[in-house]
Amino acid sequence: MPVLSFVFIAVFLAANAFFAYRVSILLRLIKATHGPVWSGTRFDRIPERVLTVVMNVLGQRAVLKKRGAGIMHATIFWGFLIITLETMENFGYELHPGFTFEFIGPTLFSGLVALQDFFTLAVLCAVLYAFYRRLIVRPEGLGKSNDAIIILSLTGSLMISLFLMRAFHMVSQPNWYDNYQFFSSFLSRNLLEPMALSPEAAGNISSVFRWVHHFLVLGFLCYIPASKHLHVLTAGPNTFFRNLEPTKGMRKVNLEDETVTSFGMSKITDMSWKDTLDLFACTECGRCQDACPAHNTQKPLSPKAIIADLKDILYHNKTAILAGKSDEVGPVLGTKVTDDVIWACTSCRACEVACPVFIEQTDKIYEIRRNMVLMESRFPPELQTVFKNVENNFSPWAMSPDDRDKWATEPDDLQVKTMAALAASGEQVEYLFWVGCAGSFDDRNKKVSRALVSVLRKAGIKFAILGKEEKCTGDPVRRMGNEYLAQSLIQENVNKLNEYKVKKVVTACPHCFNAIKNEWKDFGGTFEVVHHTQLIGKLIKEGKLKPTKGTEQKITYHDSCYIGRWNQEYEAPRAILDSLPMAKVQEMEKNSANGMCCGAGGGRMWMEETIGTRVNIKRTEQALATNASTIAANCPFCMTMLTDGIKSKDMAEKVKVVDIAELIDQATI
Amino acid sequence: MATALIYAEYKDGKIKKITHELIAEAARSGCEPVAFLAGAGVEALAKDLGAMGAKRVILVQGDALKFYSNEAYGKAFVEAVKSVNPAIILMGASAQGKDLAPRVAATLGIGLASDCTKVKIEGDKLKCTRPIYAGKALADVEFAGSGPQFATVRPNALSVGALQEDASAAVTNQPLDASALKSVVKDVVRGATAKLDVTEANIVVSGGRAMKNSENFALLEALSAVLPNSAVGASRAAVDAGYRPHSYQVGQTGKVVSPTLYIACGISGAIQHLAGMRTSKVIVAINKDPEAPIFQLADYGIVGDLFEVVPLLTEEFKKVLGEH
Repeated sequence: MPVLSFVFIAVFLAANAFFAYRVSILLRLIKATHGPVWSGTRFDRIPERVLTVVMNVLGQRAVLKKRGAGIMHATIFWGFLIITLETMENFGYELHPGFTFEFIGPTLFSGLVALQDFFTLAVLCAVLYAFYRRLIVRPEGLGKSNDAIIILSLTGSLMISLFLMRAFHMVSQPNWYDNYQFFSSFLSRNLLEPMALSPEAAGNISSVFRWVHHFLVLGFLCYIPASKHLHVLTAGPNTFFRNLEPTKGMRKVNLEDETVTSFGMSKITDMSWKDTLDLFACTECGRCQDACPAHNTQKPLSPKAIIADLKDILYHNKTAILAGKSDEVGPVLGTKVTDDVIWACTSCRACEVACPVFIEQTDKIYEIRRNMVLMESRFPPELQTVFKNVENNFSPWAMSPDDRDKWATEPDDLQVKTMAALAASGEQVEYLFWVGCAGSFDDRNKKVSRALVSVLRKAGIKFAILGKEEKCTGDPVRRMGNEYLAQSLIQENVNKLNEYKVKKVVTACPHCFNAIKNEWKDFGGTFEVVHHTQLIGKLIKEGKLKPTKGTEQKITYHDSCYIGRWNQEYEAPRAILDSLPMAKVQEMEKNSANGMCCGAGGGRMWMEETIGTRVNIKRTEQALATNASTIAANCPFCMTMLTDGIKSKDMAEKVKVVDIAELIDQATI
Repeated sequence: MATALIYAEYKDGKIKKITHELIAEAARSGCEPVAFLAGAGVEALAKDLGAMGAKRVILVQGDALKFYSNEAYGKAFVEAVKSVNPAIILMGASAQGKDLAPRVAATLGIGLASDCTKVKIEGDKLKCTRPIYAGKALADVEFAGSGPQFATVRPNALSVGALQEDASAAVTNQPLDASALKSVVKDVVRGATAKLDVTEANIVVSGGRAMKNSENFALLEALSAVLPNSAVGASRAAVDAGYRPHSYQVGQTGKVVSPTLYIACGISGAIQHLAGMRTSKVIVAINKDPEAPIFQLADYGIVGDLFEVVPLLTEEFKKVLGEH
């Protein structure tokens, strides 16, 4: 074997050893984070997991949701797969000159080299486009990244070295498949042949570029683990271990466990292994940040930044973590992750839906809130009132539980039956109508509750309410971090529903809906719960509700986060609006999965919003841009936020915010 | 005859009404009211306490007591309790009482019925009534075991007796060992605002988004100026619109107020606002929209433009209050 082969083997092994060492540190960090994983085990349903990897990693489906950047990325990714075969061939060549994959047969081999040559050019174009995006277009979400410039330069150089290697090789030693490498042979014929190099000189130059390519590849390998390009290793596993369910609730904390000394995330090691993998998988593409309502209204929160900051915190504490000195690991809060960052989140989940590698940003934010509230009693002062109200009155507002059923009796008595009365008489109903605090106490939303009663009666649905026995579902306080209070509410409610043997629940509040559907099951409450738009949609389909009365109106529909992104219901409310006679529906620019939050989720309904523009104003402006006269809502919080937005824009005379139940009530006899 | 030791509170050289209430209640029940008075240069107030019905006054004076401090006042009061050995201790559930009572009770190892709305003394037994569950229920509380029975009572809960200007109390001077104190309050700096905080006002005049701009709040200021012990508040919408600073905000995320009279001007009555003022004794609402939810809660509603109604109200109040 020639000397150069030994040199190659030494360099190759050294680079791989260094790479393995760096990766082993990352694996040890993943192992050292010991918190519980949100939403279930991640080792079940293997066929589905393999399928999602095939679709989203090999197929690039999630990446391609964004067109320009998606096509660029897919080109580089697929090119990388194909060209790696050539790289392997080149490595083999160092050990055994003349080594090729030609043994696969001339047809396949000519196809392969043609594809490799094509992708070399395609990747080079994609890299140029990426440079254009980063340096000229400069989208806000991408931010400045020297890391990205280094990686793009490396990738571009890899392609150029390949072209030169091939082209010079063609001059020195023509092969039967040269013409299949269209662009390389074009270079060779038109640029190199006129130079009239000796075959020997051309061969040597080709070898130089082959070595340049080797060094670039191995250098890349060493560089990857410390860069954002780490995602080439982690995006695959992170996709495999993703949350397969489109819906999720908040993780139940075991408050009975007496060995637990701290709740929530106070240190970076309180994260789960999956959270750490999330941090490693982030490519800093900025799609989450572009979608974040907090970021887009100048709040200090950016989902991209919080992932990057948590990763920084992890690396900063690396020595202590790896030495097992948990006492020396610093707190997460008070770094770049501040109170204002953590409390700005509206839990709209736009970040998670936008993420091409399935990072779950909200889990981390809400684990930090839990720690702040449960362990440090550290939260915005206005939340104290909410906690007190929920403790005393079972509602976030200071309203007496005794008045909870007044919406049904004032101004006139609708004669809505309660579960207690039915239990006494032995009568059966199909649905429990879960009214929720807003529908019970807020004057505007009381009208929605009354409209829904009217609609259900028109369709002949038998239902009852809990009346004074209903309590807050725990949604707001749980998202404010008060897990203890939330659990006591959930348990009391679940026990009550089980006592009445409730099977089906209908509610007009997406927050109640999500809590009952996705969170109560951890407390022994399994109910079939539908949102009122789903039930109304079904009743229209079955012909039990016939919207016949119509007034000419232009409607725009605002997706609530908890019916939309959290529970993937985009169609039912739209189908209802389409069924309204004489109504024209005009979508907002941001709609469905890309819809923007009203600003009230995650407990923000009860917090002051003093930084930046108000989220509800921004969303209202988007709604007003459609020139619609009616904004259709499906959530009491959205109703309040958008109504306030309309008022502050002085448009209350011209534009109304109306719940879908009210629209259907008006349209039916 | 049971002895009742009453903690005397004063402000700006005047004994507070709550202290008078407590002395009067003790005297009415046949107890011997003994007042505890601490401060610097406050001996003149001992005479006032006598006029209110105190038979004896324990007077503690010193530079360390010039301003109220939990530690110094607590130490002096505990010593007074030990020397007087009363059957009953009463204190106002004021800011000072709320601060001091738990410390005293804990130091003495005795029970405390805090924030009572009613106290009854039968013989040497103290029976208290205190609200629980945010006022949803009232609990009757009695004391078990021996030792002084200690209660703090909400201001305005009891009636005062007539002053007897010729009555006087025997003053006992109690020394204070200031050297053992770990902290001394040197000065108290008042906040810049001279205006009454909305939570302290007896009457609150609030404006909503319908005020249109911050200058128009002058209308409400004018009305407030006529009404004694009143302050101006604002709804969240008005604060968000920048008409008023956040410290004026009444509502769930602002200040929670419970005045005798609440005048809501151009406030529709969103739940967030109602949560902050619904316990007001009398609510007057002025709004153009007869459908506004605030009218559901209001005792008196005026459907009309606040820019016409408020100046009229101001004029009328001027006349009526001027006659008295």
